[in-house]
This record gives sequence, C-alpha cells and structure tokens, in this order.
Amino acid sequence: MLQADNIHFGYGDRKILNGVSLSVPTGGVTVLIGPSGTGKTTLLRCLALLEKPQSGTLTVDGQTYAYPLSGPMPPAPWPKLTAVFQQLFLWPHLTLCDNILMPAERRGMAGLEAELAALIDAFDMGDFIHRYPNEASLGQRQRAALARALILKPSYLLLDEITSALDVEQIAKILDYLKNLRGQSIGIFIITHLLGFARHAADQVVFMANGEVVESGTSDILRNPQTERLFQFLSVIAAAS
Amino acid sequence: MSVFDILLTYHIAFLQGLRVTLMLCAVIWTAGLVLGTALGVVGAHSPKSWGRFTRGASFAFSAIPTLVILFWLHYPAQAALGIVIDPFYTASLTLSLVNIFAVGEMVRQAVTDFPAQYIIAGRVCGLPTRDIVTRIQLPILFRQLLPGLLVQQVGMLHATLFASLISVEEIFRVAQRINSTVYRPIEIYTALAVFFLIVCLPVTMFAALLKKRFTRDFSER
Repeated sequence: MLQADNIHFGYGDRKILNGVSLSVPTGGVTVLIGPSGTGKTTLLRCLALLEKPQSGTLTVDGQTYAYPLSGPMPPAPWPKLTAVFQQLFLWPHLTLCDNILMPAERRGMAGLEAELAALIDAFDMGDFIHRYPNEASLGQRQRAALARALILKPSYLLLDEITSALDVEQIAKILDYLKNLRGQSIGIFIITHLLGFARHAADQVVFMANGEVVESGTSDILRNPQTERLFQFLSVIAAAS
Repeated sequence: MSVFDILLTYHIAFLQGLRVTLMLCAVIWTAGLVLGTALGVVGAHSPKSWGRFTRGASFAFSAIPTLVILFWLHYPAQAALGIVIDPFYTASLTLSLVNIFAVGEMVRQAVTDFPAQYIIAGRVCGLPTRDIVTRIQLPILFRQLLPGLLVQQVGMLHATLFASLISVEEIFRVAQRINSTVYRPIEIYTALAVFFLIVCLPVTMFAALLKKRFTRDFSER
C-alpha cells in the first residue's frame, strides 16, 4: 500500500497541498482528477518521494517517511515505486529502445528481450523504437516513457497525463493495458482528464481542488457527485465536450 | 625562392619552431582540459565558493587581453619579485591560466544548467548515482561541451603566437627571424599559414569526427 496522510506542501506562503490524504492499493487503479493548477502534479511528485512535504506522512509498503524529516531520508524504493511525468524526461542521447532498456539492463534484469518485444507489440512501437526522442512524435514518446517504467516491473506506477498526445485508438490500447495490470498486483495512480477511463477502469476516484481532496470514492462519484465542487467540475467538462 | 625552397632550406628551424609550438600546446591543452574540467565541476558543486572564484577569474582572464597578462607576468611581475623565468614557462603559465579558466567556466555553466529532469528520470528508474553520472550526465555534457571546447583549444593554438613577443622560439618567431634574413614575407608567411593549416587540419578533422560520432541535435520537433 502507498499511503499519504495529511500532506502539506508549499513554496513560502503559497500553499500547494493542504492536508491531502489518500491511499493507492496494489492491484488497483486510483484516478486523480481536478482543475488545472490544483496541485495534482505536486502530489504525484510527493508520492514519488521527489518532493519533501512540509508535514505529513508517506508510507510505502510499511516504510514510513514522516515529514519534516528528523534525520537522513530513508532510501526511496525506486523503481518499485516509479513515475512517468507529463514532460516524459526521455534521455535525448539514447534511442527510445535504449531509453527503455538501459535502466533495466543496469539493474541486471533478465528476460528483457521478450519483455521489450511484448511492450513494442502492446504499444505499436515497432516503427519508431530505434528513433531518438527528438525524431519521435509526442505520442510516440509518451508510449516509450510508459514502456520504460513498465519494463522495470514496479509495484506502484504513478502516471501524470501520459495520454495527452495520443489518438483515441492508442488511448484505448494503453488504458486497456493499464487496466489489465491490476491482475499483476501493480498499484496504478493516474492523473488524467479522461473521465471515460475513470468511469470504466478506476477502482478509486479522487477529486482535488485548491490543494485539498474534496471528494473520493468509487467511480460512482462521477455519476453521482456528493459535493457541489465536483458537480461544477463535471458540469464544465460535460459542457466543454 | 619559392615557398617550397624556403621550407626546404629552413626546414630544421621550422621544425624546431613547430616543436616548441606543439610543446606549448601540449601544456596549455592538458592543463586547460584537466584542471579546467576539475575546476568547473567543483565550481558547479560549490557555487558560493569555487563557483564564484571560477566566474570571477574567468571574467578577469577574458576581459584582460592575453597579451597584457603575458607581458605583465614576463616583465613587471618578474622585476618586482627579482626573478628571471624562462619565457617558455611564462608563456605556458599565462596561456594555461587563460585556458583553465575558460574551460572551467564552460564546464561550470554546463554542469549547473544540466536539466534536472534527466536526473530525476534516472532516479525513479532506480539507477544508482554512479550510473546517473556515467550513463546520463557525462554523455549529455560531453556532447554539449565538445564543440565549444574544441573551438577554445584551436583558439589557444593561435594564442601561442603571443609567446613570440617574449622571445619564445616558437614557429612564428622562427618565421620572423628567417624573414629578417631573406626578406621573403609572402613566401614565409604563406609557409607559416601552411604550417598552421597542417597542424589545425588533424585537430579540425578530429573535432569533426567526434562531432559526427557523438553530437546530435537534441531539440524536439
């Protein structure tokens, strides 16, 4: 279980996260939704142990990170806990293939060729896998970044808007793939604006606004919101689409 | 006398001058690349101490003309200290300092500005620090710095001509002395230009080879 309790984070006087608590169970899909600028990405970075909250507690499979830290930070369990960011951060001097393989090779993982072949097949990457990131489209880079994380066989996979540049067919493929990962005991935490995915695949939906969790529950909350703020948010999205 | 005749007649003098020029280059390039890189890395990791020192010294050495520094170290500094140093060493020290601080500042800036997101991606992929440095940071920095460093080293080769002004018997001074004997400026300075082309050609070809092998346009379309 990946759990956040009462997480506060800010820059100076500017509060970004204000007492956020949530849990990401293994074998489940947790979808985080909310308006832009509400602290979703900051929360993901905190969950990925890349930011140090001002207060609160993070727990990853029993290892507790209590903030503010009283001593040196215990080692982060990367890549058991890993993330794919909206900006992807693919290494520009390596081909997409090497981007995917290098971390796994350095970790001495076995059976990588078969894993890579399966990912290439699953994400239709055969045509561009040997291109450099700057020679690939954003959608192709998104698929490669996701594959780089998946080949490491994480227990918790944090994804920040990784389908923003994909066409509908590719989105469906990737989301189906992610849905199927539930059976492999991977806890998936995904920030997305795709409410359709949240409705059909999420075991848990969390709605954030102004740095706080306003409402959470099963995907039923998207059909039957309990708070005015979520209702407004869903109404705006429905009107826009 | 043709260019070829002059080269043939004075080839020993030219070769001795070339040897001195190449020795100067060896000292300047080695000191600049090794010590400059070390200074730049230390400066990037200690921005308030070594970083400020590197920035300040680099500014001073780029603002003050190299010739002024060379003359200052050769004449007033030695007179004030009451010592006499072989001009070769004075020239080596001066040009090495210029190169060390130029390379140091280039490396410091590149390391400081290195995009943190590539390191973050390495961390969340579970790469140890050693792999992040050797597999991600160094290759990207090397590709980024290579063209500038090579241009700087060719510039330092040209700067060795200043050493002739404090009586270092490098190739330009040899050419001047031969010219004062035979007075064939067109042929002699053409020969000198050919010498520099011959010396610069391998450096330029090596630079082009490295560039072709290791540098790519990283910009995303």
